[in-house]
Amino acid sequence: MSFENPNLSLSAHVASLNARFENTDTVEMLREIILDPSFGELALVSSFGADSVVLLDMVAKINRALPVIFMDTEMLFHQTLTYQRKLAKDLGLEDVRRIQPSREAVLERDFDNLMHRYDTNACCALRKTEPLKRALAGFGGWISGRKRYQGGARTSMDLFELDAEQRIKINPLAHWSRDDLADYIATHKLPRHPLAAKGFKSIGCAPCTTPVGTVEDERAGRWRGQGKTECGIHFGEVARTVIVTDDGFANDDWVDDFHTFDALPTVETGTLAVDLKGDFPAKNLLQWIDKIDMIRVDFPVFSDGRGFSLACQLRLLGYVGRLRAKGHIVADQYAMARRSGFDEVEIDQALARRQPEPFWQARAKWQANDYQNHLRKAPSQAERPF
Amino acid sequence: MYNYTKFDKDFVATRALQFRDQVQRRIDGSLTEDEFKPLRLMNGLYLLLHAYMLRVAIPYGTLSSQQMEALADIADRWDKGYAHFSTRQNIQYHWPKLQDVPDILEALAAVDMHAIQTSGACIRSVTSDHFAGAAADELADPRPTAELVRQWSTDHPEFAFLPRKFKVAVTGSLNDRAVTKFHDIGLRLVQNANGARGYEVSVGGGLGRTPMIGKVLRDFLHQADLLPYLEAVLQVYNQIGRRDNKYKARIKITVHEHGLEDIRQWVEENFALQRPRFGGADQEVLARIEADFKPPAFKNAPIGQFEARRAQDPFFKAFTKTNLHPHKNPDYAIVTVSLKAHGATPGDVSSAQMRALADIAKRWSHNELRVSHEQNIILPHVHKGDLPEVYNALRLAGLATANIGLISDLIACPGMDYCDLATARSTNVAQGIALRFDALKQEHNIGLLKLKISGCINACGHHHVGHIGILGLEKGGVESYQVTLGGDGTQNAAIGQPAGKGFSADEIVPAIERLIMAYLSLRHDAKEAFLETFRRLGPAPFKAALYPKKDT
Repeated sequence: MSFENPNLSLSAHVASLNARFENTDTVEMLREIILDPSFGELALVSSFGADSVVLLDMVAKINRALPVIFMDTEMLFHQTLTYQRKLAKDLGLEDVRRIQPSREAVLERDFDNLMHRYDTNACCALRKTEPLKRALAGFGGWISGRKRYQGGARTSMDLFELDAEQRIKINPLAHWSRDDLADYIATHKLPRHPLAAKGFKSIGCAPCTTPVGTVEDERAGRWRGQGKTECGIHFGEVARTVIVTDDGFANDDWVDDFHTFDALPTVETGTLAVDLKGDFPAKNLLQWIDKIDMIRVDFPVFSDGRGFSLACQLRLLGYVGRLRAKGHIVADQYAMARRSGFDEVEIDQALARRQPEPFWQARAKWQANDYQNHLRKAPSQAERPF
Repeated sequence: MYNYTKFDKDFVATRALQFRDQVQRRIDGSLTEDEFKPLRLMNGLYLLLHAYMLRVAIPYGTLSSQQMEALADIADRWDKGYAHFSTRQNIQYHWPKLQDVPDILEALAAVDMHAIQTSGACIRSVTSDHFAGAAADELADPRPTAELVRQWSTDHPEFAFLPRKFKVAVTGSLNDRAVTKFHDIGLRLVQNANGARGYEVSVGGGLGRTPMIGKVLRDFLHQADLLPYLEAVLQVYNQIGRRDNKYKARIKITVHEHGLEDIRQWVEENFALQRPRFGGADQEVLARIEADFKPPAFKNAPIGQFEARRAQDPFFKAFTKTNLHPHKNPDYAIVTVSLKAHGATPGDVSSAQMRALADIAKRWSHNELRVSHEQNIILPHVHKGDLPEVYNALRLAGLATANIGLISDLIACPGMDYCDLATARSTNVAQGIALRFDALKQEHNIGLLKLKISGCINACGHHHVGHIGILGLEKGGVESYQVTLGGDGTQNAAIGQPAGKGFSADEIVPAIERLIMAYLSLRHDAKEAFLETFRRLGPAPFKAALYPKKDT
């Protein structure tokens, strides 16, 4: 069977891949994926860090010519660079692509190489996220070595995910434990990163990585003391967004595709969900209003309040399905979103980390102190607020 | 006066608590400055050139003595012992510390006040006629409508993140003292042919860098339809107002670009959707607000002292000539207290003066004060028999300047001394003009003249509607003051026309003097005000005075 099933949406495709490989041996799964041309060109993205050798070894045994993308942030430990050259040689990797940040961008934004001291997020964006995005252009999917046991947002990841660019991202080691990795390295007599022996269990850039204690999380040494746990290249996955309701944070339970208004399917499908921009004229949706199950309104930036009026108008036109605000909405706007007619808010991990659940819960009682509601009641029903 | 309900009290108290939490989250970094900015702006907190500035709302300009005392206390405790009444019927504190602001908001909430929506891209604190409820020429008191709009617009979930700020003004008099034609929405209380109460709704007026006169969107809107109609206008604006260029984001540009007819059609469509949402409780609330605004119990007492003092005291007589306005009760007068002592910064007032005003209002003005957009304080209900005592008390407080409506009763924005947007100083020009004409002893002879000064193109000093406007710009690193002529903010709305090239800081006061001297020689008689002469003769003779031909 081909992976290319035109009748399946991307997210449904990802769900079917997860179901299919749920119980497959990791090496077997990798072999099937790497050798199947229907995926388009694949790349392995490797940090050549503490455990990277496991996946590099598996891939090399299937196809040595598979492109391996190595992000050289120009801030790495010199041991990492040495180790990268040694591994490439030992494993016979034929296409390691060492990706560096753009010269112009570094000169412009971090000419003294000190950005990591005052803005780690901007530094990761400059040196990792943006170059990777360029390097992955043209690839159909990518393989990453993340593990669930590493904690944080990684705890709930699947084998197959969609990244922010709607590209398939494969996490073959998602379910591996630390012991599984150690066993594999020992069995195959693979060389370790020189810093692994010195207490480094997760290795990134030199300024932002420290060793970890024996009882700490493996990634506790990354951006220590900053409340930051990911560089940014693993953000934006569709499955990783957070849904905020009156009950707090939850994972997204909506698995079907969202269509743009112009691409709404003409034949009846199971459920129907549509993505709208804030300036969409609500009345244009009138003929669909009782056929749609989910409407998601985009908030590109929190200061753009168009979506609130759109939500209100959709409700007034009779829409009773799920209504979701998605994007850059801050916790202080939660009550506004609910009062305008939204059921829930969808935010990304980065925002959820910066504005955690209690901030949103502080606005969960959105019915309180609502001037508009008390002015709209019928006189006979109006509770006397005075 | 409006009495806060339990609902209102809970609201402002909760809001102060929320802001305390937001300040904390800004300090600990969980809110970025970008995200904090609109939250602080919605609570009236600006970041200016030297410090934070807190703008406190005085909705439709009405204050009680107790509230004025609380404002004085705040000035002493958290600021430098003074405050500034702005051209938007607000009061501004220029030196609060960020960490003190939550305490200030709590102190305000204790006297039923707040700083909500005095800033930010939301519906701003609603303004009205500063003589409302007192003026003899009033058809109906606009304040109940203004209070209803205040409640409806407060924390409106749809309209806190508009393309740009949005200002609503209400007038109940044919003599428009609320400048409604230069607001995003102007409401004029009217009756239709059947005697039903309603509003004429204007939209798209404004000053700033693109001054426009408001256009009538609905000539008669039934009173009960007001809130759903406002909601419809705001929804249209929220969705189609431009967000790509802040200088084109006000509704005046939206109306200008789409045309009044299209806007009207979209508003009416939205209105049809919105109308059924309002079940009638708003009218019940309005009726209760109206009851709160019923006139005070006016006394019946002789007014003989008033006439007697006028006959013997020329200073008192001068004061009563300029600073009184007819009250609907002929035994009473509306007293305007000038915050424009010659040479002082217009609108600035010390805490001692604020307490004196609170005390005077308590004793002689039924506990009520008003703040005008012309930066003066009004005692709305003073019995004429009490006027001599009121005048004595004002003199003691240094507040008896007799210049209301005269050239030195001018409006000026804070200018480059305080504001980081300003391109020129404005208070120095204001002081220079006031002192010059005081020295000439001509201003009573000159009579009614609205002179308004802005320190930049954003026009906070309303120069476009000054009979004489002065706009301070920066040309090649030097302040340059441009003069506009013939503006009018009343029902006969007009935008002042530029007279010609700008004047330097040294030239501007002599130029205004030449202009005024020309008017004095051109007018029919002392009854013809500057604006009337200008309208009769056109700009030519005034331009000739401003730019005299050099002798060769």
